[in-house]
Amino acid sequence: MNEHDRTQLGAYALGALEPGEVAEVDEHLATCAECRAELAELEEMKDFLGEVPPEAFLEGPPEGGDLLLQRTLREVREVREASAEPPMPVPVKRSRSRWLMVAAAALVVVGGALGGGVALGRSTAPPQATEPAAGYKEVTAIDTTTGAKMATTVEPRTGWSWVQVQVTGLKAGDQCQLLVTDSAGKTWTAGSWVVSEKAAKNGSTFGGGVLVPLDKVHSVEIRTLQGRHVVTATI
Amino acid sequence: MATATEPLLVLAPANPGIVRLVGDTPGPDDAETLIRTLYAEHGRSLLAYATRLTGDRAAAEDVVQETLVRAWKHAGDLTTGRGSVRGWLLTVARNIVTDRARARAVRPAEVADVVDRPPVQSDHSESVVNTMVVMDALDKVSPEHRDVLVQLYYRGRSVAEAAKELGVPPGTVKSRSYYALRALRAVMAGTEAEVSR
Ligand SMILES: [Zn+2]
Repeated sequence: MNEHDRTQLGAYALGALEPGEVAEVDEHLATCAECRAELAELEEMKDFLGEVPPEAFLEGPPEGGDLLLQRTLREVREVREASAEPPMPVPVKRSRSRWLMVAAAALVVVGGALGGGVALGRSTAPPQATEPAAGYKEVTAIDTTTGAKMATTVEPRTGWSWVQVQVTGLKAGDQCQLLVTDSAGKTWTAGSWVVSEKAAKNGSTFGGGVLVPLDKVHSVEIRTLQGRHVVTATI
Repeated sequence: MATATEPLLVLAPANPGIVRLVGDTPGPDDAETLIRTLYAEHGRSLLAYATRLTGDRAAAEDVVQETLVRAWKHAGDLTTGRGSVRGWLLTVARNIVTDRARARAVRPAEVADVVDRPPVQSDHSESVVNTMVVMDALDKVSPEHRDVLVQLYYRGRSVAEAAKELGVPPGTVKSRSYYALRALRAVMAGTEAEVSR
């Protein structure tokens, strides 16, 4: 590979080239900063892929019968019979939209007539509850050192919490993580993201869930992946 | 499997790979339909994952059962969650495995039971969103791009093997894998906007 052949770099990053091809790419990379930069970006994506286990790409039901399904259905029936209240979401309004659910799945249409509603792609999914769930907490914090300002909303869920932040004072390209510390002092990651130019200008909105009940949420912190503290809100 | 009064899974035409459960206020049959649907679509993936994490088929089945029950209990949360339902289920399964491993670890008598099993990556186990974000991004790249990433990355195939599997020339596998990673990067860069509401 004497000239740039970027199309080799994808398979190279994923470790799928033959040894001879790898040697050729290595030879070119040694002399080409441009391709090295490109490769670094591709390898970053490879790291992202590592967040998903390979089993995520298996389809269909488990092999070997549906005993497990029957057991699960039995448990659901038992739980339902044991509780008068159906264990369904926080009472907002009993509307049809509440029971909308996006599912990545095989291309299956389960039988029945089209009685429910209109199918929509994810990109046009209607915004869910614009109001936070009842009992939420809201805190705004400013860090005088970093100059970042953060409006934090923590909403209760069944046994866990949804954390939503609106942060201003971030730089475009900042790689941020949303960290939640519980009352026992343990820190949970509720997600990470990269700040776009638009978000650097207008404020960056991000949300994530943690398995910490609302009353156990002590503080919410934004920190960069490089470990730089940005801002903390004590809930 | 479903009647007109039960929730329906409707294929989203603009976005293959994504279906949407549409229906009225959930009733008893809805719960059963939800569980059956999740099991039929995600059961194999969940059980395989749980089996790898626990190293034990029976324990894995328990984890899958608990995951599905939680999905039913939290059906409302799934509507506000980010990323795919598959990502949500896998994350919950992983958390259950981790919680159980921790619970066992405080009971010394059973510790020996778990030492030779594949370790659960604890640095990942508390992250709720990442798996979902990446799965969501993979949902948004084209099927051709996703297929080539699955072959080369997740199945560890060589270019030649993937070419055979996908029925395209090796050169196409190479260029697709490059453009797939670029497309993924573009989607991930846009994730922030998608994630905000
Ligand atoms: Zn070059």
